[in-house]
Amino acid sequence: MFNNLLNNLLSKVIFTGLLTTTLLASPQLSAKGVYQSGPDFVAEVFAPQQPEPGVLWLNKSIRQEAEKILGRKVLGLRVRYHQSAGKTAWILNEIGKEMPITIGVVIDQGKISKVKILAYRESRGGEVRYPAYMAQYQGATLTEKYKLDKSIDGITGATLSVWAVNKVAALALYYHSQALPQPESTN
Amino acid sequence: MKSSNSIKTNIIWHRRIGLSVFLLLIFLAISGFALNHSPALKLNKISLSSSWLLSWYGLEKPLIKGFKLDDKWLYEDGSNLLYADKQAVATCSAPLLSVAKSSNTLYALCAETLHLLTESGQLLESFSQLDGLPNDVRAISAVDKSLYLITDSAVLEFNPESLALKPVSGIDPASLNAITDQLAVPESLEQELENSGPSISLETVILDLHSGRFFGQFGVLVIDIVGLLICILSISGLLAWINRLRQIKQ
Repeated sequence: MFNNLLNNLLSKVIFTGLLTTTLLASPQLSAKGVYQSGPDFVAEVFAPQQPEPGVLWLNKSIRQEAEKILGRKVLGLRVRYHQSAGKTAWILNEIGKEMPITIGVVIDQGKISKVKILAYRESRGGEVRYPAYMAQYQGATLTEKYKLDKSIDGITGATLSVWAVNKVAALALYYHSQALPQPESTN
Repeated sequence: MKSSNSIKTNIIWHRRIGLSVFLLLIFLAISGFALNHSPALKLNKISLSSSWLLSWYGLEKPLIKGFKLDDKWLYEDGSNLLYADKQAVATCSAPLLSVAKSSNTLYALCAETLHLLTESGQLLESFSQLDGLPNDVRAISAVDKSLYLITDSAVLEFNPESLALKPVSGIDPASLNAITDQLAVPESLEQELENSGPSISLETVILDLHSGRFFGQFGVLVIDIVGLLICILSISGLLAWINRLRQIKQ
């Protein structure tokens, strides 16, 4: 019990230290820009395999749940993804403060294996793109209430961007569960 | 005798000044109260966009232009939203460059994104530069069941199912008759967009009325004079009160 608490505390201290070091080492906090195109992200994620493209149609029930996760109206009747052997990659947009952030999310066997900011258009709050922050999402799954089962440490000054990434990560997990439904366990 | 005359003059002018600034004083008190409690009254959240007010402030409502495809209007509203008739369907970096219709799908090409819509105007999905849309696409055109993207240097065939692009040779872009000339949208649609475009908050209008700026330099001068008259009113009122005290004592 005590060891668990100590480990948890240590990991948080190390994460905060790493993040602070990264931020201090960064010459410019404004992170406006396109970091990777969608096709490049997909190719990198599945290399050396060739993933199959897929389309998830947003029927009424999927749309309702997606709107609950995002807390806003969902536009678009279908969403593209790529998949290979139980692994899916999603490229989704969510508004941080005023501009959309394009986020790539990879789900492997129902767990997040990678989250990456592909394009960031706000002038502030781009610290969410740093690997030390993104690594927190690895292994996260979806709870029954469509929230991430891991608590994600926020970043001062980038709260809205953090919320946007959290929502997109949860949405990608939900879309994955709809695109590749798990077979019912027969006990 | 002289003193009695000056007392009379003081009272006459006190009365005259009081009557002349009476209405303005009430207005200044009410508007000052409203400005003091602006956050609670949410005056900054109330947007005014009537034509005469905008023109008074030197703002102009942009003329909204768009494209008509069969019976449906597609246009960008001036705040980077794509509309299909009265419905906002997607974000659209201005300008809306071109539109086309192929089979049951409508296409709207914005500066950075190609939007695919159903016949009823619902967004199917968007294909952006991040997904592989070339950044120099300037028009789209549907011929038979194929959709062509016209760039500065090439013509590309777009597959709406796979979102793949394939270069096509031997097609003259001019022969594709892309729709790129915008028309002014009907007034009935413009009226629906009353809340988009430029607007002025009620707080700004009240503040400008309170300070006189609403009427330019002349208004500021009037409010300055009113301020001066209020000072004189206070002093003359005080003098009248003192004189009256003296008269009572005598």
